[in-house]
Amino acid sequence: MNSKKNDLKSLELTVGDVFSKNARLKARNVNVFYGENKAIDNVTIDIGSKEVISFIGPSGCGKSTFLRCFNRMNDTIVSCIIQGEITIDEENIYDKKIDVVPLRARIGMVFQKPNPFPKSIYDNVAYGPRIHGLSENKEHLDNIVEESLKRAGLWQEVSDRLSSPGTGLSGGQQQRLCIARAIAVSPEVILMDEPCSALDPIATAKIEELIHELGNEYSIVIVTHSMQQAARVSKRTAYFHLGKLIEVGKTKEIFTRPQHNQTEAYISGKIG
Amino acid sequence: MTKKFINPIEATEIVKSSIKKRRAKDSRLRLYGRIAIGMATCFLFFMFFSIFTKGYPGFFQYYVTLDIKFDRERIDPKEDLSDTSLYEGEASKTVNESLFSIINPQGRKAKKEARKIVSSGKDIRIAKLVKNDPSLFGTVTKVKFALDDDIDSFLRGYINRDTPESERRISDNVIAYVDKLSEENRISYEFSDYILQGSASGNPEMAGIKGAFFGSILTLSVCLLIAFPLGIATAVYLEEIAKKNKITEIIEVNINNLAAVPSVVFGIMGLAIFISIFGMPRSIPLVGGMVLALMTLPTIIISSRAAIRAVPPSVRDAAYGIGASKLQVIFHHVIPLAMPGMLTGTIIGMAQALGETAPLLMIGMVAFIVDIPNSVVDPGTVLPVQIFMWADFAERMFIQKTSAAIIVLLGFLIAMNALAVYLRKKLERRW
Repeated sequence: MNSKKNDLKSLELTVGDVFSKNARLKARNVNVFYGENKAIDNVTIDIGSKEVISFIGPSGCGKSTFLRCFNRMNDTIVSCIIQGEITIDEENIYDKKIDVVPLRARIGMVFQKPNPFPKSIYDNVAYGPRIHGLSENKEHLDNIVEESLKRAGLWQEVSDRLSSPGTGLSGGQQQRLCIARAIAVSPEVILMDEPCSALDPIATAKIEELIHELGNEYSIVIVTHSMQQAARVSKRTAYFHLGKLIEVGKTKEIFTRPQHNQTEAYISGKIG
Repeated sequence: MTKKFINPIEATEIVKSSIKKRRAKDSRLRLYGRIAIGMATCFLFFMFFSIFTKGYPGFFQYYVTLDIKFDRERIDPKEDLSDTSLYEGEASKTVNESLFSIINPQGRKAKKEARKIVSSGKDIRIAKLVKNDPSLFGTVTKVKFALDDDIDSFLRGYINRDTPESERRISDNVIAYVDKLSEENRISYEFSDYILQGSASGNPEMAGIKGAFFGSILTLSVCLLIAFPLGIATAVYLEEIAKKNKITEIIEVNINNLAAVPSVVFGIMGLAIFISIFGMPRSIPLVGGMVLALMTLPTIIISSRAAIRAVPPSVRDAAYGIGASKLQVIFHHVIPLAMPGMLTGTIIGMAQALGETAPLLMIGMVAFIVDIPNSVVDPGTVLPVQIFMWADFAERMFIQKTSAAIIVLLGFLIAMNALAVYLRKKLERRW
């Protein structure tokens, strides 16, 4: 574990309480570089168990980059270098011994643009359990698919057409299908990268409601451009600016009494 | 003072005055497009028209009907229908006797000429008939025999009976005999049973493409079995697995260069490596297929890589995000989605390979081979090489046979492309 001194170093930058009592994910002094470019500058934050936390900030502030550090999706980018430590249940996910395959099963992800596989609705949800060998038999797999779709609030709409293509659904339904696909492998954490940015207000409302419900069972990290959305769905909010974590706090407090002047400027619409 | 803005009324006028010019440009471009398409269609039409009209008669030839007395003692002296027995028999003599009874040639020279009227394959035809149906023995049955190619050319009008006898390939006597046969309605123009079922032959009237056709199928099968998996594996490795560095860059450049190497070079390489070093026999479809596989590999690799690159990254993200390993992402998502594109490339490569002559000449597939190859290690030839050889022969009848073989080759090609379109449609996701 890192020394207290290091923690304090990042605290000099960050306003608010970055720590959480029952932390599931801990990021300590994380730096991310794209080649020469420093995208994330010394960020320390905890993500609590069964907590919905939102990352807000202007475009290009590094919040998506930071989110993708948690399930090592940045691994696919050749020039990307990550320093610091991110732990899940006290285990460093960047340790050489850690295999990304089980890690990504523990930390699921929902992307900005709905990206169902060009397969049937059933196969979309069943894909994760299949590759990880989570189901014992066909009946069990059926149950997993049904339960996942129910949790994603999609079951009623698609139960009679599970074999039709997932890409034939509407945008909002596709995104819920992607959420169902993510929860089908029973993850502990779900990362959401602007999950509603491609959706209309009604679909957005549905997803937000869903995030609210799922927050009772999973830790959810959501990156969003919409401050209203952050206010609606999350208990904690983190504000990023130019790769730095400026302020973390209870959502209510961030939006009513921001401590840092940059946070205040962003929230009141002066920057961003 | 510089004029910063044009006022709206002026602007409207300017736009209006320029619109005519723009429209004219537009319609001119459209016209060029139409002319180009029209010309391309015309050329295509003329090509098909000329091949078809030239090649169509190649599927037909002239036959003569003779009454054959199937005398077992003469045709099958050992009475066991074996090849030796039929060979020792007097089938040809029987046919000639039947012919002579109609045309009555007088003297040795006349008889010699008369014997040539019926194609030299007559004894084989009798042997085939009695083997299929031994009950023919003891009967007198009408049998059709191919006419000699000179007679065929004469009947088609390529040899003029008004030219002096010394300047044409058939004598006055023979013309008289043919006239006599015509009078008796014994000569008929029918669909040739040699062109599709016969093999290479020095007698044009008996030459067919069956051997070359099967040679082509065997060669292409070998080519496909080698080039398709190898090409796709290379493309997947280069696109998905290999790190991008100097070495992969060099490999990439070389693959692209390989696509532009003249095909005959691959033939020389095949000769040097497969035949000289590995000591494989010449003229076999196995070596031909391997050489063609080398030739088609770059095409398959290049198009497969393009197909892999066209797979949306969001699908990869989704699969990685759920915890699929690299191999699972490749086999579950990338390859299935890229398959239609990979198939298109493969078919283009195969079509190239099907029409290729030069590299196969180098490895000896130009040999005169009468037998139909049964396996990839039997000597054989392929359709384009057969066409090439026939085009070189002097006999008039080979011209039509060449065109007929071209039609078969084109048919083969169209069938292959149709299969590709069908496979692609079937594999392409409906969503």
